[in-house]
Amino acid sequence: MYTSSKLKREFYKKWVKGLQICCSSKKKMDILERKKKIRLCADIALASAKNVTTSWSIALIYEAQKDDENKILVDNLIGPELRLKPQNTTRQMIACHKRVRSNKILKKSRHVGQRMRKKCPPKPNLATYIAKTLVKKRTRLLKTLVPGGESMDEYSLIKEALDYILSLRVQVDVMKSLVNATEVLNQSDSKIFE
Amino acid sequence: METFQFGEEIQSLMSVVPPPEAGNSFTALLELPANQAVKLLHDETAPNTLSSSVFPVMETDNSLEMTSSIVPNSSPNNFNLVKEEPIDSESLRNSSPNPSDPIISKSTKRKEREKNVKSSMKKSKHVSNEDEGEELPYVHVRARRGQATDSHSLAERARREKINARMKLLQELVPGCNKISGTAMVLDEIINHVQSLQRQVEFLSMRLAAVHPNIDINLDNIFSAESGSLMECSFPAMVTPQPLSHQLWQPDGLTPQPLWGVEDMNTNFITPENSLLSYDSSGNSAENGIMKTWEF
Repeated sequence: MYTSSKLKREFYKKWVKGLQICCSSKKKMDILERKKKIRLCADIALASAKNVTTSWSIALIYEAQKDDENKILVDNLIGPELRLKPQNTTRQMIACHKRVRSNKILKKSRHVGQRMRKKCPPKPNLATYIAKTLVKKRTRLLKTLVPGGESMDEYSLIKEALDYILSLRVQVDVMKSLVNATEVLNQSDSKIFE
Repeated sequence: METFQFGEEIQSLMSVVPPPEAGNSFTALLELPANQAVKLLHDETAPNTLSSSVFPVMETDNSLEMTSSIVPNSSPNNFNLVKEEPIDSESLRNSSPNPSDPIISKSTKRKEREKNVKSSMKKSKHVSNEDEGEELPYVHVRARRGQATDSHSLAERARREKINARMKLLQELVPGCNKISGTAMVLDEIINHVQSLQRQVEFLSMRLAAVHPNIDINLDNIFSAESGSLMECSFPAMVTPQPLSHQLWQPDGLTPQPLWGVEDMNTNFITPENSLLSYDSSGNSAENGIMKTWEF
């Protein structure tokens, strides 16, 4: 699968920058902490590497900002102008979606009664019901996976998932090549020092 | 294992008596009669098998319908071919749709063509004036014979078709999804894919944490010109496409801490940002040190 090298470069730059910031703060970190920091930096770098901000990236950044100690990191990576935006837009989005959903529920409750009276209700079809439930379960699961996905309707959820998958691939590719590079470096150095 | 789970789920669901639901959702896709739903999702069937039962009205428009329904699965190159299809009595009066969004505009074009066909049909419902752009907010939908014509079901149908188009995009993106039919299983695959990608990120960051005693991962040393083999390893991995499905993380345990003073040398230098494909040849002494060691 093709992943754009430009995005990879962007992501890599930001990631290394974030790691350097992390490194300058503390001196001693055990392996789990290191892993968390690496992962965090990678996520934030991924979210900010794209020029077009999608809602999953905004949600990621917002989540990261909640933690106080990460705030400095986020600020330096993203830049001060973007910092305020996530908080406002996420809250707006959530409020908007709740409003939309409550409106839909109101509308449904109004029309369902009318429709029941107008025409006979559709025959309960077992196969359809099963299929529908399966799909519903899976959309719920997908919503938990994609960051910021809970407050989205299915249509934009699919779009976000598409985007998220692409960016995850970029992340995985960059990290893999970094691991490969350091491993080769290790091998060649250990051979030299023998 | 997944089919086993499916079987269990289906059995558990069968015991429940289903209430009728007003499906104003994604799953409303499944309100369509089964063959229509399958045919909407299945695009690789040959044109002949997509008989007029699927699109019952457009006898004259049949050939156009078939080709337009198959097109979404193909690349944008074929999009031009379909545009040049002989259209009998009508002309596409739309401006050319945005090529970056062929699928969604295709469905609206199809509906436009439906509108133009002169035939005695049930009354249609114009939602609003069309606005050509990246995301088409309003879609002209015409009622097909034998289907409800009130605005709700029309809007629902338009929505369903939009969702279907996007699902097709997803199917093409996720490897191994093209063969699968049915929304639930495609979603299953997508979820698996996302989960595996996230897990990979987790493992890779663990591995990196193990390799580096401090997390200042500084790769200036990699760009020394002498190390030809190193370049070949890291750069192809970066630039060429990789089949993700083959790269499962082998849990080979944590790599032991390397015996290299090289890393310590690097941390003393606060080097400027490097993009991965640029060389920092401005006399970085860490690099020179490493180059010397590699000359042995």
